[in-house]
Amino acid sequence: MEERIDTLPRLPVSTDTGDLEHYGRDWTRFWKPAPCGVVFPESTDDVAELVGWARKTKTPLVPSGGRTGLSGGAVASRNELVVSLERMRSLVELDEADASITVQAGMTIGEVQRRAVDAGFCYPVDWAAAESSQAGGSIATNAGGIRVLRYGMTRDWVRGLEVVTGAGEVLELNRGLIKNNAGYDLRQLFIGSEGTLGFITRATFGLAPPPVQQSVLLLGFADLEAIMPAFALLRRQLSLSAFEFFDQASLEHVATHTGQSSPIETECPFYAVVEFDDPDGSAQERALEVFEGAVEEGWVTDGIISQSESQVQELWQWREAISEAIAVHTPYKNDLSVRISRVPTFLAELDRLVEAKYPEFQVVWFGHIGDGNLHMNVLKPESWSVEDFHTACNGLSEQVFELVRKHEGSLSAEHGVGLLKRDHLAMCRSESEIELMRRIKQAFDPDNLINPGKILP
Amino acid sequence: MKILVTLKRVVDYNVRVRVKSDGSGVETDGVKMSINPFDEIALEEALRIKERGDAEEVVVASIGAADVQQQLRTGLAMGADRALHVETESAPQPLTAARILLKLVEREEPGIVFLGKQAIDDDCNQTGQMLAALWDRPQATFASKVELSDGKASVTREVDAGLETIQVDLPAVLTSDLRLNEPRFVKLPEIMKAKRKPLDIIALDELGIEDAVDHQISDFQPPPKRAGGKILESAGELVDELKNKGLL
Ligand SMILES: Cc1cc2nc3c(=O)[nH]c(=O)nc-3n(C[C@H](O)[C@H](O)[C@H](O)COP(=O)(O)OP(=O)(O)OC[C@H]3O[C@@H](n4cnc5c(N)ncnc54)[C@H](O)[C@@H]3O)c2cc1C
Repeated sequence: MEERIDTLPRLPVSTDTGDLEHYGRDWTRFWKPAPCGVVFPESTDDVAELVGWARKTKTPLVPSGGRTGLSGGAVASRNELVVSLERMRSLVELDEADASITVQAGMTIGEVQRRAVDAGFCYPVDWAAAESSQAGGSIATNAGGIRVLRYGMTRDWVRGLEVVTGAGEVLELNRGLIKNNAGYDLRQLFIGSEGTLGFITRATFGLAPPPVQQSVLLLGFADLEAIMPAFALLRRQLSLSAFEFFDQASLEHVATHTGQSSPIETECPFYAVVEFDDPDGSAQERALEVFEGAVEEGWVTDGIISQSESQVQELWQWREAISEAIAVHTPYKNDLSVRISRVPTFLAELDRLVEAKYPEFQVVWFGHIGDGNLHMNVLKPESWSVEDFHTACNGLSEQVFELVRKHEGSLSAEHGVGLLKRDHLAMCRSESEIELMRRIKQAFDPDNLINPGKILP
Repeated sequence: MKILVTLKRVVDYNVRVRVKSDGSGVETDGVKMSINPFDEIALEEALRIKERGDAEEVVVASIGAADVQQQLRTGLAMGADRALHVETESAPQPLTAARILLKLVEREEPGIVFLGKQAIDDDCNQTGQMLAALWDRPQATFASKVELSDGKASVTREVDAGLETIQVDLPAVLTSDLRLNEPRFVKLPEIMKAKRKPLDIIALDELGIEDAVDHQISDFQPPPKRAGGKILESAGELVDELKNKGLL
């Protein structure tokens, strides 16, 4: 391998042990990083040249973004060469008339958001890892996040892509057009492809107008059954931009992690951060009425409301810091979704299943419940080894996925399949679907060199 | 004892302030307005003093147009007992504000008047001190810790050299610094209760003050744009650059 890397054309490369570990994994901790090297292309031509070289030398490549992925998509544990896009982070163009921004794939989403704000727009897809996630990585995982309720997923904002396929071809997909029905929309295939079809090297995102002032409620619920009816009520009465829920365990982990005490007086089993349009402070009045209604129904037991921008941010922290707060416990993440109408029954059955099957593990619940999306995090007891824990969780997941199948849901709402859910894909996709996916993969990546072994069993 | 806390309505701390295109002031249309953060800290401290049993009543006061009632309601929802709204369309400077507050102090006879050390809109840092002088009572400004006993307040102040603790006889004027406390969130049920709490609207002439117009703004200018930075390759280049600019 070493000699092979020596034949790489004039690109910055590292084989430093620290780098191999750093660039060889994402946020998951279940696979040992073991790439043969890390290479840092600086242009689309560099990437195309790399792919050509990889085909000649039969070297598998792992496209690598901000490595915040939660399914092992960017993990290189089998001697692959990691291709980090982090040096390709320039702004290509911000067009005010088009309301769009074109960037190289390695620009972070945080930076995309800032550039948008500076130009009087907003890039509305947002999640806790936006400061590290890259444009390319977020497209390759079709990231969702905390405002899908109003703004949809990354897919809804991608207007154009430049990609280098596994065959080494450079394609311009959709060229920033809003309307383009001339044949198959290949751009859509790259969105959510988790780096298995080729490299995204440049992206054009549509931009939204800046949002009006928002206010935030933190509500405490009486029980699990109360959440969805309360959501329905809030949604009718307020112009919601987010409805994010979490449980008492999440709140406790964040409190420990940040050293802050709970902002809400009553301890409740579940909470939700509710964000809504409040352009002149008058929507608070309506929020209050809804709150009174929800209290009368017995759904909500306590609640607080932001009075300033700093409080908006502070309240969001209680939801946004959860992933980071539980990371030390090597969580096994299930990222489930069902149609919103199915959430109440699904939740109730899931809750019973978990009680019965996970007695020795702590389970932390949070997620984008307004989108029918639930993050179920099983925490590793300190005494367990990572391997044993992973195996145990995998086994238990079968039953969770069985329930997902029964409710016609998905076992990966937004985190993708990667390595983590690969062997379970058939639980939510039919055999014919998987076979078609294989053929699509083959068409773009004939030698199976771009992120091999991910998504498809 | 009664504590009087002042609440000024200001453009929210997290909002990027923009000057109106005609230079007549700062854009406030559709802009989030909040309680001046230092005033919020002052109110939090007053509420804690009351909750400890060292005060019986917390009264919040604001000077301004009708919309300051929004901030007064927030103060009531945080836990204040009563609110006073001194009505004026103008935005008085510190001396005028201190004169108005003195009238309220004469009416209310509080043991402590608690203000923010400054308001984040004009950053004057004067009103508390001026009020103490007009009232002829002690002042303890920049408080980061407050303890009460035997009609005295022991106040730890944030000063340039570090911390200084002084004792003042009450009644006195106190002003809050950032580290004094972390203000509480407003509970939704408290907003409901706050609606039933008294909010008195007081006209300037009721206080024997003719008008609060004490200045005229002729022009507003945003600060000059900073020239962008420049990344140099070596220390040598830096030395050359500095020499060229005549800085070395
Ligand atoms: C604290 C935290 C909170 C999160 N919250 C959310 C959330 O709310 N919603 C959500 O959807 N996700 C969430 N995530 C997951 C994660 O942030 C997303 O999956 C993110 O979009 C991945 O971007 P990245 O640049 O880090 O990609 P990486 O992790 O580096 O890679 C992800 C996948 O994309 C591929 N890839 C990367 N770059 C390219 C490229 N240029 N071309 C082709 N393929 C590429 C990789 O091979 C890999 O398969 C969260 C993660 C963390 C750590």
